[in-house]
Amino acid sequence: MKLKFVAFSLGLMLASPVMAQAHSALFDCFDNGDGTIYCQGGYSDGSSAKGVKITVSDAGGKVLEQGQLDANSEVTLKKPAGDYFVTFEGGEGHSLKLDGKNIVE
Amino acid sequence: MKKLLAASLGLLGLLAAVQPADAHFMVAYNKDTYMEKAKDLDMRMVFTHPSEAGTVMNMGGVKEFYALHQRGDSDVKKIDFLKNVKEITWKNGDSKAPAYEAQIKAKDIRSLGDYVFVFTPGYYHEEEEGVYMQQITKLILNVGGIPGNWNQPAGLPAEIVPMIKPYGLWTGNVFQGQVLSNGKPVANAEVEVEFMSNEMQLDSNTMSSKCEVKYPAPQFVTQTIFTDENGVFTFGIPRAGWWGFAALGVGPDKEYKGKELSQDAVIWVQAVDMK
Repeated sequence: MKLKFVAFSLGLMLASPVMAQAHSALFDCFDNGDGTIYCQGGYSDGSSAKGVKITVSDAGGKVLEQGQLDANSEVTLKKPAGDYFVTFEGGEGHSLKLDGKNIVE
Repeated sequence: MKKLLAASLGLLGLLAAVQPADAHFMVAYNKDTYMEKAKDLDMRMVFTHPSEAGTVMNMGGVKEFYALHQRGDSDVKKIDFLKNVKEITWKNGDSKAPAYEAQIKAKDIRSLGDYVFVFTPGYYHEEEEGVYMQQITKLILNVGGIPGNWNQPAGLPAEIVPMIKPYGLWTGNVFQGQVLSNGKPVANAEVEVEFMSNEMQLDSNTMSSKCEVKYPAPQFVTQTIFTDENGVFTFGIPRAGWWGFAALGVGPDKEYKGKELSQDAVIWVQAVDMK
């Protein structure tokens, strides 16, 4: 039963925009259609995510690109060619990962 | 003769008194106020009596329709949606009048955060009373759960600023708002409250004829609250669904075309049952 709850929570977290239940960090990305992706983040209390590191990695976990959320808690990054993931590196309890398949225009 | 006249007037008064005391409300509606991820919006703006699918009235056109968007403490962006507004005919029972719909694509509201929608209609002429009404209406939607400017004034001549997040209300919460006229709190303002007790049917642009509420008497149809010295009112939400709040005559404009004008501030909120 516990496993089911964990699996359900994981399912929620993989949905987009992703949400860390305990600390309510939120993160989403969109495909700009021009070879770039646009990402934005924040917290459920409205506080800024300025400076949070955003990492683009391939399916094997290799880091392809990194950026930081700006004063408006957003950043534009290059879109990799193959399968990829984008991670909001918010620290323990705040890290959120998006599957590139869910990043659409 | 005088007695007969007095009796007739008295009867008329009595008849008027037992009519449902429902109020004029500019309805600004979208199926949901909260979205996990942006969805296409299918909005309606109708001037009616929402408590009992009452008379639909001609609001006199539309002057403005836009959203103020903010995520967290990022910059506020104004998105003009006037081009999305299309005239329709709304029908409640035998009553029909021009109203508006707005189709907004998900990509236009894909950014996480708040969208404070503002709808400014033209002027409704209440012929019987020889007065005009204009109800400037707000509807606040959120995408993705990051709050923004929901509790910030939109800079309207007349507006209700929520003091509780308006898109995450449980049944049984209170709704608290501050009434502003040109940005200044209005003490002792009369605020009318109505429940949308008949479902909005967007496919046919009508409200369902089925009333979800059994009102025991006309006194229960429109609730009335007066604001305190800071322009603040508080209302306990007894039921899930859509609740409209209208602060009457609080705007700075008092006259239109040489006749009395009631420039009102309206806001709609949605409450959800805790299951």
